[in-house]
Amino acid sequence: MVLDNKRGVYQGGKSGPIIVAGRPEESEMFLRVSLPPDHDDVMPKKGKVLKDSEIRLIELWIKNGAKWSDGALKIFPEAELALSQPELPKDSKESHPVDKIMDSYFKEKKLKWPEVVDDRTFIRRAYLDILGLLPEPLKIDQFVTDRDKEKRARLIDELLGDTHNYTQHWLSFWNDILRNDYSGPGFITGGRKQITDWLYKSLLENKPYNVMVKELINPTEASEGFIKGIKWRGLVNASQRTEMQAAQNIGQSLMGVNVKCASCHNSFVSNLTLEQSYGFASIFADSLMELNRCDMPIGKMAEVNFLYPELGSVEAESVKERLLLLSEVMVKPENGRLYRTITNRFWKRLMGRGIVEPVDEMDNEPWNADLLDWLAADFVHSGLDIKQLLKTIMTSKSYQLETTRLENQEELQKGYVFDGPILRRLSAEQFSDAVSQIVAPMYYAAAYDPSNEDLPFKRIWHREIKFDRDVLPEPGKRYFRNSFNLDDKKIRAAKALISVDHSYTLYLNGKKISEGTDWRKVDRLEVADKLVQGKNLLAIEGQNEGAIANPAGILFAMKIQYEDGTQLMVTSNDKWKSTDKLPEAGWTGTKFDDDSWQGVRNYGSSNWDKLVNFTFEGPIREFARASLVKQHPFMKVMGRPTRENVATTRDEQATLLQALELTNGEYFNGVLREGATEWLKKYGASHEDMVLNLYQRTLGRNPTEKERGIMLGVLQTDEKEEALQDLFWSMFISPEFQFIY
Amino acid sequence: MDKDLPINARRDFVKKMAAASLSAASTSIPLASFLSSCTSDPAITSKADTIILLWMAGGMAHTETFDPKAYVPYSKGVESKRVLSTFPKVPTIVDGLHFSQGLESIGNVMDKGAIIRSYKSADLGHILHTRHQYHWHTCYEPPQSVQAPHLGAWIAKELGPVNPVIPPFIAMGQRFTVGEAEELKAFHSAGFLGSEYGPFLIPDPSTGLDSVRPPQGMSLKRFEARYKLYKELANKSKIMEGGSDYQRESLMRSMEQSYRLLNSPEAKVFDLGQEPKEVYNTYNTGRFGLGCLLAKRLAMNGGRFISVSTEYEPFLGWDTHENGHIRAAKMKALIDRPIAQLIKDLDESGHLDRTLIILASEFSRDAIMEGRPGEPVQDQVDQPDIIEDEKFYGMHRHFTDGSSILMWGGGIKKGLVYGKTADERPCSSIENPVVIDQVHQSIYHALGMHPETNYTIEGRPFYTTPDGQGKPILDLFGEKLVS
Repeated sequence: MVLDNKRGVYQGGKSGPIIVAGRPEESEMFLRVSLPPDHDDVMPKKGKVLKDSEIRLIELWIKNGAKWSDGALKIFPEAELALSQPELPKDSKESHPVDKIMDSYFKEKKLKWPEVVDDRTFIRRAYLDILGLLPEPLKIDQFVTDRDKEKRARLIDELLGDTHNYTQHWLSFWNDILRNDYSGPGFITGGRKQITDWLYKSLLENKPYNVMVKELINPTEASEGFIKGIKWRGLVNASQRTEMQAAQNIGQSLMGVNVKCASCHNSFVSNLTLEQSYGFASIFADSLMELNRCDMPIGKMAEVNFLYPELGSVEAESVKERLLLLSEVMVKPENGRLYRTITNRFWKRLMGRGIVEPVDEMDNEPWNADLLDWLAADFVHSGLDIKQLLKTIMTSKSYQLETTRLENQEELQKGYVFDGPILRRLSAEQFSDAVSQIVAPMYYAAAYDPSNEDLPFKRIWHREIKFDRDVLPEPGKRYFRNSFNLDDKKIRAAKALISVDHSYTLYLNGKKISEGTDWRKVDRLEVADKLVQGKNLLAIEGQNEGAIANPAGILFAMKIQYEDGTQLMVTSNDKWKSTDKLPEAGWTGTKFDDDSWQGVRNYGSSNWDKLVNFTFEGPIREFARASLVKQHPFMKVMGRPTRENVATTRDEQATLLQALELTNGEYFNGVLREGATEWLKKYGASHEDMVLNLYQRTLGRNPTEKERGIMLGVLQTDEKEEALQDLFWSMFISPEFQFIY
Repeated sequence: MDKDLPINARRDFVKKMAAASLSAASTSIPLASFLSSCTSDPAITSKADTIILLWMAGGMAHTETFDPKAYVPYSKGVESKRVLSTFPKVPTIVDGLHFSQGLESIGNVMDKGAIIRSYKSADLGHILHTRHQYHWHTCYEPPQSVQAPHLGAWIAKELGPVNPVIPPFIAMGQRFTVGEAEELKAFHSAGFLGSEYGPFLIPDPSTGLDSVRPPQGMSLKRFEARYKLYKELANKSKIMEGGSDYQRESLMRSMEQSYRLLNSPEAKVFDLGQEPKEVYNTYNTGRFGLGCLLAKRLAMNGGRFISVSTEYEPFLGWDTHENGHIRAAKMKALIDRPIAQLIKDLDESGHLDRTLIILASEFSRDAIMEGRPGEPVQDQVDQPDIIEDEKFYGMHRHFTDGSSILMWGGGIKKGLVYGKTADERPCSSIENPVVIDQVHQSIYHALGMHPETNYTIEGRPFYTTPDGQGKPILDLFGEKLVS
């Protein structure tokens, strides 16, 4: 008996029809499924018996005439594809278009406008939203005392003009959506590709959104990582072929439609069918795709199509041509869904809740359809200028309202009523960058460095072997030597950079010239007066710490500039030699015989990111922006997603693992220790200065008398460093710091 | 209706009906409730509260460990195809049950547990260890369109901690700085369940205490004062005025929980220094052995899901691409004593009854066959037909058609041997083959978790095992096998 088509259903089983329209009590189908689970005649015979709700549905259906819905799989509501181009209300006193719409919304809901935030709250919010950084105290003071009525709009313009910082904040948002990361499964076997360079440049130049979409869908080499997906070694489930991933990710990220469910069987969360998702995936496939239902081929070949055929055909001979067609079809202004989806994401990022939720299900009812479509249409009219869209939202009074207080999470769900922005938690990146700004760098090294100065150095260490295999080095001391010759020319300047995981002592021609214990830092040395003509010798005693084998490595570069304008570079590379046995005295000098030493191993770069200060050029950067840093346990626990799948919403809920990391995590507490030392050097003489600075820099305000008193009291101790660490900690943990008010 | 209706055909059918009647009937019954599969079956009685997973990472050859075949000693010029086992068999405490030499201690506790000899790993094509490990731990083949949770995360989410100050999912022994680290991280994760249920990682059990006490160098007094300071400042802040706010409150609540945990006497559970020297020495065969010791302490004090891994590092540990015989001997020496001691100690203290211990590996190894019969995959190791060098003596290829899983406690039948592999190559599972869904469902069954436990992600239900399929192996528990 067949139940998945009309004929089969009405034909029934061997003994005839099973349905009497209008009379469930006479219908075999209803009677059999309603039997107790252990009855001999219960249906279905194998597998699970039907749930009560399913049985009730069958009863209801038969009672209502057992009508078959031909072609009508469209039982879920669908949003109009085109934007509705709403007109702005004419009777509002508000001047900003968004506020005009919100004015009628509030009137309709019989709500009063909430209060607008003060300047201090606004500047902190605006900085965090555009740059992901905190404003400096001086900047806050200037802003607060500025009498210009247009100062908020001016500030927004100014911040949007800070292109690198803007990019380094918004990069995380796009990385999440576009499933782009610096590390993760797939890279090891070449089954995955970054689009970071393309993305960074696109944001830096504020590329119009339609151009970005076109370049993602019909990509160049720099942007192909998005539709290429993640390929693991071996066989994969049919619903996870990279072509299907492309369809799923474009669906979710760009169009706000769930293709995933329909890539295994007809969707039960939307109207999409298996045929449609295979048709969509076929655009990216260089051969015919056979439909698979739940990973089983069903003997039917897919026909190329896009989910919204009314936008135009994507049929063509080659993948290349189809991608071009799809990229053109997707960005048509008629495809309002594309623009509505991204507009809604921006609204959510800035206001804490989307106009449609969940943000990946754009067929759901918006709480204000006019608002969404007006913003999206305005975005299209502006030439798809992303910064302009941000500005439009942020200059509205609606963005500048006080955050609303929610008693429970349910208030954000069905029946949500806008009453001001939602309280947002600092993202993992915002939190890390704020700590870097205020106390000490959280990160010194970036996975992607936009400045890209390529120095020819390698990360080297003693080669260690177990069962004929290169393995991670054991803890302990290792000794390194490298000799080089200098021409008979006058030296103008010689600079060296060194960073060693974990610690080192550096000798040049037998003399100790530097030592360091922090593997994350770069030491910068002037070495001109220590060099000699002819043979010179670099020697390093390196130490790998820890209890078990773990990564260790030396990074060294020396640039010698001669008076005649030529230069010589000496770097750590595989010509260096090493030993794990304590050498005899004199091993740091030129005369020592190191013939018995072995060649070092290049440990590559996978365990270390690029130290942003390992550079001979440019201004020394204080810290690496968290968005550019490889996924790190601290950020992971603070909510930065692993980007193996598209991640469009971050969980902002506080968790115990997070609290543990903040409370006793060695990494975070180490940064606080480092910061306390620095602060004491800087403000040591004045407790008042420290307390004032701490409040201004973390919370953007002065302490109250009470707060000031408590903090000064804590500093009344001989253990000043510890006291200061505890003050830092108390500030960073506090809700006032961790939320964007 | 004389045919079983596959789950998706049924779903489509229900949807068609709904299209015709529901939309018209303007009923308030939410559609999703018909189309997803929440159930209201009565709860299952649990047999265990705690799970300990002893993970043999890297592919442990069944023929060299718990399912020995004909022993062919090394001699120069021996043919690879003749080599089925490189160790002699030794008897265990259970009549007729033999293990490979070097596993005598574990053999001695088999009267307290069961062995499954017929586990079949998935066929995932060209073999990548971490992909099979992902599959073993999540029950899903990577990649998935959403991030699949680890078995331990499901358990942490569904059952929560046994002792509120001991994290419900603890993973020991694996570092994430080795090769395939990103692939390892991919399944050491709570996935879409949220990081709250993710693993509490202790790569080195001897330093486990550091993760549960105040930061290094901080006295208890200072730790307490610091927390008070934060509370006082937070409560005085003007943002605390004007009504409650769930986000702020959940943040402060999590800080309080963490403070309590780090300040609680339970922290000493993580301190291996509390063990008598001789006990410590019995367990201490290395990091894995100490992991077993910490697992014992956690199980006795309210751990929920605890895994101890021999650690995966490509080409090391059980991943023997050469010198297989010598290295298998070393691995057996690493695991034999501490595992046996763990079983004994939990048994003597009475905890074994409510603790289910599982020993497993992602797949097995063989001297000749890569993959499984009939599904050839790319060889990764050159194995000569004639062995002229001892380094080629051992199981160096990846075999997915038969391997062993051991289980003790938690209602597991004592002395049971379940399933069988062939005595001649290929040493495939030939009786009662077991696949991963059944293993997971058996674990959930022991814990009293519903077989159709699921979580709605992106609008659709995601089950602990794909589509909620797979049945627990009730025979393991000594219950009547239901066909």
